[in-house]
Amino acid sequence: MNTGTHIEHNTPAVELINLHKSFTPLTGKGGKVRAVDGVDLTIDSGEIVALLGPNGAGKTTALDMILGFTSPTSGTCLVYGGSPRHAVQHGRVSAVLQTGALLDDLTVRETLAMIATQHSHHMPIDQALDRAGATSFADRKVSKCSGGEQQRLRFALALLPEPDLLILDEPTAGMDVNARRDFWAAMHAEAERGRTIVFATHYLEEADQFADRIVVMGAGRILADGTTEEIRALGGLRTVSVRWNSDDGDAATALAEIPGAESVRGEGERTVFTGPDTDAIAHHLLTHTKSSDLLIVQVPLEEAFVGLTHQAQQSAA
Amino acid sequence: MTTGTATDRTERPTTADSAGPNALMGILKYAAYDFRRQLRMVESLFFIIVLPAALFVMFGSITAYGDLPAGHGTVSGSIATSMAVYGAVVATTNIAGSAAVERSKGWGRLLALTPMAQWQYVAAKVLVALAIAVLPVIVVFTVAALTGAELGPWNIWLSAGALAVLCSTMFALYGLFFGLMFRSEAAVGAASGLLVVLGFFGNLFTPLSGTMLEIAKFTPLYGVHGLATWPQMEGEIMSTMGEPMDPDTLGMLITSVVVWTVIFGLLALLAARRGTKRA
Repeated sequence: MNTGTHIEHNTPAVELINLHKSFTPLTGKGGKVRAVDGVDLTIDSGEIVALLGPNGAGKTTALDMILGFTSPTSGTCLVYGGSPRHAVQHGRVSAVLQTGALLDDLTVRETLAMIATQHSHHMPIDQALDRAGATSFADRKVSKCSGGEQQRLRFALALLPEPDLLILDEPTAGMDVNARRDFWAAMHAEAERGRTIVFATHYLEEADQFADRIVVMGAGRILADGTTEEIRALGGLRTVSVRWNSDDGDAATALAEIPGAESVRGEGERTVFTGPDTDAIAHHLLTHTKSSDLLIVQVPLEEAFVGLTHQAQQSAA
Repeated sequence: MTTGTATDRTERPTTADSAGPNALMGILKYAAYDFRRQLRMVESLFFIIVLPAALFVMFGSITAYGDLPAGHGTVSGSIATSMAVYGAVVATTNIAGSAAVERSKGWGRLLALTPMAQWQYVAAKVLVALAIAVLPVIVVFTVAALTGAELGPWNIWLSAGALAVLCSTMFALYGLFFGLMFRSEAAVGAASGLLVVLGFFGNLFTPLSGTMLEIAKFTPLYGVHGLATWPQMEGEIMSTMGEPMDPDTLGMLITSVVVWTVIFGLLALLAARRGTKRA
């Protein structure tokens, strides 16, 4: 990673300033859909950043603009200080695309050779195959490759121009557990070579295990941006669930006295507290109340996003 | 040292701008790969090369009327041009149509991650389409020459072949329309299947007369066929009945090609607009 910063002379890999992108939906009713709604983001060379968010959060649209597939409605999108297209033409940025993008009648090797004709500089095809773990099925037709194998081919294609910045849009979608583990192992190797990696995912574990920095997106905005630990600590990601004892009175009234707790709700027989510091909530509940059967639960991400979006709206209001 | 390769980049001269000789080389290299790929697709090559040649043998060379004089050559010579036209339009329809499908399925996004510009892709595809469209002309004319068909002096053979290829390019727009509109290989297959019907109405397979011929003059392959056979026939229409028919004028044939090119162009444009809106 230090080599990365050395090469770039501190030009950020990606710089998004007040970025907006809206679409007119085909259905025609309602106004424009604001897919990306005012994003400011700087990604330095050598960083490994996860863009985390549910479907429709604006992740893919943001990445499409970084790759020059679409242009912003307003705002600035710079890749290594220049236009995305310029970065693409110089082989500085490449991507593992989500789906499609392959010709069924070509073999894996032929696909690489055909795309390689267009790069002014590229690594040897055998090397790209090797790094992506695609050597064993190099002479297989794309139509006969499994989903995981096709994804490795896309990875090899992305490595061809030896990009400084690698963009991955939900790279492990449709992969089984083993393929997923192998993929991230290969990606680790690329990160160690000093590449900057930005990937979109809706799996918190994936973001957690691989990224140094997580950017949470929702409704076209950045909801949170920080290290893995910081994101985990955000309110709403964990809850404390107990069997509430009515001797302690009403749980909603008791909320104000519980340190670190922000909200409470009933869930069948159980009462669920949320807040930034679940340890403090648990401590209080166990020592100061008659609550029993305490559980600290990692909230499914979709649910956590609802919480974060809610928080963002509140802070904006 | 892998970090070394990353450092090299800042030092090496930046030659990736998509202009100048690199752009041309890019087109040629891509076209060469794509041409090889098309040659491997045996199913479509059958319809482009083998079928027209077989149809020529059936209708042109082993028939009793084949040796009768027609224009500067023989009836079988004129049928050879018809079949060459058929093969060439199937070729351009297929290649343009599958290019549209290919792009809609994301291959375009992959190419957008290379220095290749859109116009280079189009140029490469045009080259491939022309190169494939030449094949049926060569094969059918070779079979024709070997079986004693006559178009006239060698320059008539050459200009008939060239016109067949050139006029077939308008069917690239026709194929493009189907590819962009329905985004599936099946639709492109249907489009080239439909060419049999258009070929019948374009007077390619069997000489029409009467009302059928009047209708035929308004169909898209009629002008292409008339122009390709012009060097030999000069507008003269073959008749099965024996009575002579009013010949086509060059102006009328050119008008037909121009009007249909515009119509296919507009349809392709509409389909393309529809496509980008959905994406």
